[in-house]
Amino acid sequence: MIRLLLRRLGQGVLVVFVLETITFFLVRMLPGNPFLGERKLPEHIMQQLQSLYGLEESAWVQYWNYWKNILLHGDFGPSLIREGVPVSEMIAQAFPVSFLLGVLGMAIAMAVGIPAGMLSAYYRNRWPDALLMCVAMAGICIPAFVVAPLFGMTLGMHVPGLSVAGWDDALCVVLPALTLGLINAAYLARLTRGGMAEVLSQDFVRTAKAKGCRPLRVLFVHALRSGLLPAVSYLGPAFAALITGSFVVETCFQVPGMGLHFVNATTDRDYFLIQGLVLCYGVLIVLANLCVDLALLVLNPRLRSQGSA
Amino acid sequence: MRGVNVEKATLWLVCAACFLTGCGDERSSAQRAAGDGVLLIGNNQEPQNLDPHKATAVADGKIISALLEGLVRPDARVEGQVHPGMAVSWEHNADASEWVFHLREAQWSDGAPVRAQDFAYAYRRLLHPQFGGKYAEMLYPLKNAAPYNRGELPWEKVGVSTPDDRTLVLRMEGPTPHLLHLLLHFTWYPVPSHAVEQHGGMLDRSSAWTRPEYWVGNGAYVLEQRVFNDFLSVRPNPRYWRAHEVQNRGIRFLPIVNGYTETRMYFGGKLHITNNVPPEMLEMAAHRAPAEFCRDDYYCTIFYRLNTVRPPLDDARVRRALSLAVDRDMLVQRVVRGAGKAAYAFTPPGAGYGIDDSAERRRSQKARVEEARRLLAEAGYPGGKGFPTLELMTTSRDVQKLMAETIQAMWSEELGVHVEIRSCEWSAYKAAQQNMDYDISSSSWSGDYLDPATFVELWKSTGGNNCTGWGSPACDAALDAAARSADVGQRLLHLAEAEQIMLRESPVIPLYWSERTYMKSPMVSGWYPLMLDNHPLDAVRLTPAPDKP
Repeated sequence: MIRLLLRRLGQGVLVVFVLETITFFLVRMLPGNPFLGERKLPEHIMQQLQSLYGLEESAWVQYWNYWKNILLHGDFGPSLIREGVPVSEMIAQAFPVSFLLGVLGMAIAMAVGIPAGMLSAYYRNRWPDALLMCVAMAGICIPAFVVAPLFGMTLGMHVPGLSVAGWDDALCVVLPALTLGLINAAYLARLTRGGMAEVLSQDFVRTAKAKGCRPLRVLFVHALRSGLLPAVSYLGPAFAALITGSFVVETCFQVPGMGLHFVNATTDRDYFLIQGLVLCYGVLIVLANLCVDLALLVLNPRLRSQGSA
Repeated sequence: MRGVNVEKATLWLVCAACFLTGCGDERSSAQRAAGDGVLLIGNNQEPQNLDPHKATAVADGKIISALLEGLVRPDARVEGQVHPGMAVSWEHNADASEWVFHLREAQWSDGAPVRAQDFAYAYRRLLHPQFGGKYAEMLYPLKNAAPYNRGELPWEKVGVSTPDDRTLVLRMEGPTPHLLHLLLHFTWYPVPSHAVEQHGGMLDRSSAWTRPEYWVGNGAYVLEQRVFNDFLSVRPNPRYWRAHEVQNRGIRFLPIVNGYTETRMYFGGKLHITNNVPPEMLEMAAHRAPAEFCRDDYYCTIFYRLNTVRPPLDDARVRRALSLAVDRDMLVQRVVRGAGKAAYAFTPPGAGYGIDDSAERRRSQKARVEEARRLLAEAGYPGGKGFPTLELMTTSRDVQKLMAETIQAMWSEELGVHVEIRSCEWSAYKAAQQNMDYDISSSSWSGDYLDPATFVELWKSTGGNNCTGWGSPACDAALDAAARSADVGQRLLHLAEAEQIMLRESPVIPLYWSERTYMKSPMVSGWYPLMLDNHPLDAVRLTPAPDKP
């Protein structure tokens, strides 16, 4: 099992390295540069700025310097738009916000999506199933940029304590977390239903029922563990995506998280910030997938035996 | 025992709920902040830099103006009127090409005296050939500033001198009667030379002196805290020379990019002043809070650049025809829901200047279209026959896309001319525009200072921001004459002549002059309509009103 995990970790490091390398060259191929503004800069000033940040060097030299600074000095570079501010400081400030939002969003998604999927599977092809899956499909189809302002205008404006947008009191987190949570709950509900429906039709469940097991016991003790496997596989990347921020939700609720940095850095060609954010996202994805692998090993005995073999 | 636990748990739950919902204080954030004397302002975007030599964005300028003060300061109510700032008095020679400023006894926020040398240091830093000052051109009216910036002359040749700690002498390239308006821009502010030197020196672009913990300023406020994409807060500077006039206990600038979110936040009691109500929300905002809805003139022109190097746009008749066929009134109604004025000239009227466009305004759109068809036929494209398909480049902003679609339909219906819309994200758009890789480009220009030169000088044939490939010796000559003119009236006439020449040749299609639409709480006073949107925040007052948002 440890060997399996180490192998996955090694693969993860490789993935992050490739991701970072591709991003490095792709962002430099985009038209424009970080110093473009409303006014056209005189050529001598543009050259001065480019050379100040080593951007006049060839892409390979820049690439070498980038990794050298990270590995030798732990320096992810400065923001090219907010000059004088290290990229690491910007990420360190935004990450806790996105993390909090992501954790709450995922908790809501799991609390709503998994029970909904179980209920749906239990009442398969009957009206509760149709109703729940209809709602789940609506949750998948309606985009966040519709849900978020809708929540803001209805709940945020009229429910005392809730905040329409902003990040200035404890309850500000509720609506953005709810938006993120419900969208993911819809996916989780469908995945859980699929997994559970398949398990509930298997022989061992029929045997359990024939032996007189109560329905709830069948559902929770016999079927749940295997039925959750597809949902658990989804949870890892979804969690990583949630805690690295959502541009739409952060914009609609004015949340100072990583999602805003991601999009603004790309639009502004803030090369080092894009690199830093992609690195952060890559590492989180790898870690989340590793956690999923661990969870799957715990839930699925067959994987354990394959792993040890 | 079990009952006691339930009671305890209930008590804890109630306490937590009360804490979370703040049931002890039902006031909105804006009301609470007003009670604390803190002004909440929506500031459009996360500021890029608070160093006046690295900043370029409007959002940065608003904060810098609260933190630093130049030689003069603006009036809160009358656009273009200036009051003594760091300079207590000034005089100039007959042709306004040499100015002498006498500085008051003032202090930086760390107690060091503000000296004339701080101004000279600031100007040298922004212009230094190795600093890479993006807005260095703002100081080019200073004698020899441009060659020094290009590294062709030493600093000693630049027209800045400091005979003593309290006297600053500025020698200009030519008569500059409008210098006081220029001085209101943050590029002319001083910087604390001692603090800049302490944190890396003059040429260090990553200098930490603008971080809240090291900030030193001479303005009404000092920097307090900055959380990226959340807020930036300032508090009063006790060493400011007019500290007794500053009544607010702080200002929070909120970088809210999305106008919909910002307007919702205003109505949710989260802001005192917003930056922008988007066109789709204008009707709702004006209806819901008519007394709080503001619509101010703004020193900004929305226009299309035409690439005059590429055929068929190299023919002035074609350019003129395209311009005539645009129904500006309909455009203003459809695109910005009336929040603008149809523009038939480039420079927005103001500062005693304005091109007489009354004849054009009186003319019916039908007559304009007929002339457009005639011009197009003369250019060899009767009814649009044989006219190549052009590309109309816009940014990805909704307003710009809607505007492009509306104009596309107008040209197609009225002239038989077909254009394809190319929507680009910001950096790609700017790169294409500045490299002249476009046919027609959606553009805007807002004035840095209240003077028509900030608009008209764009069309100098050698101007870096021209980006149309158009140039005219007659227009250049008129601009040169304006630059040599010491007489204010004569100078404006020369500028108007240059603009008329440009308008006849139509390298651009002026579309409309913007208006700023925003919300202002009744708790706010001392905030008046200003075309440059450069409000002195020390004059803004807050009066808590518990029953209003």
